[in-house]
Amino acid sequence: MEKRGRGGKPSSSTASQLQPPPPPPPPQPRRERRPSMFEREAYTQILKERLRDSIHDVQYVEPPFDDSIADLGKEWKSALAKLKFANSYRMEPLKKFQAHSVETKAQQILKESLKDVKYDDKVFSHLSLELADRILSAVKEFGYHRYKFIIKVLFIQKTGQAINIASRWIWDVAWDSWVAVKQETETYVALALVFALYCE
Amino acid sequence: MEEYHRHCEEVGFSADEAHNIVKECIDGVLGGEDYNQNNINQWTASIVEQSLTHLVKLGKAYKYIVTCAVVQRSAYGFHTASSCFWDTTSDGTCTVRWENRTMNFFFNVFAIAIVL
Repeated sequence: MEKRGRGGKPSSSTASQLQPPPPPPPPQPRRERRPSMFEREAYTQILKERLRDSIHDVQYVEPPFDDSIADLGKEWKSALAKLKFANSYRMEPLKKFQAHSVETKAQQILKESLKDVKYDDKVFSHLSLELADRILSAVKEFGYHRYKFIIKVLFIQKTGQAINIASRWIWDVAWDSWVAVKQETETYVALALVFALYCE
Repeated sequence: MEEYHRHCEEVGFSADEAHNIVKECIDGVLGGEDYNQNNINQWTASIVEQSLTHLVKLGKAYKYIVTCAVVQRSAYGFHTASSCFWDTTSDGTCTVRWENRTMNFFFNVFAIAIVL
């Protein structure tokens, strides 16, 4: 498809250069040598082969993707962001994020809410959201000012499969930190991750 | 020594770009591979690090957190939820689920704005 398009272009450009009386058309400008047809097809074919068995989709995105909302959002956001904040002359947070106290609190919440709970599909889908909100409000209660929090809760049913969870981040090492708590039972494993980022 | 990346003037988290970056990284590392206990650590590490590097190259003033969970494909139940306390005008997230014949991949990008 691409090749036809490419071939089409030079001819149209030469046509536009024609003026009466038409002189002999100038020789087509020498383009750099196109890679061989075989190479290009081979690449797409190889890619298709490799990806034949994989599918992907985007689960959740924020800001929302709807056209109407997105347009409004962008202008508004850029206008808002260009606002300069008044100088607070504060270089560091008042109270630095203490990972150990948050860890004990989160562990306690997990233990309480998951006491004697068996793995159940429907229950767990809203339990996970509820837990995430609960941990978030508990962390907010600690009173770390100017901190932004991200809580992530995962439930994995134990059926003998392997699971690998990895996280990486780019943040300010001096003030930002994270906490991970795990609760394991016979039928499932619950993992909660708390990330705290200082807002400059 | 990495070259200096120009500061980008655009503001606002573009979930579209993030999703493209993530998809490219995963396809590049895992395209056509099967679940392999020996390599899985290495793969997750390289995917996560590569996507983080590409996100940073966008040049926006953002802190990024990238999380991924990879599970062998079988009959199992999996739930995940996240709750965030941030500035909704400037911060955003993107979740991508990628799957293959032998594994499932759940990828999450959180972007928090730095107010300069």
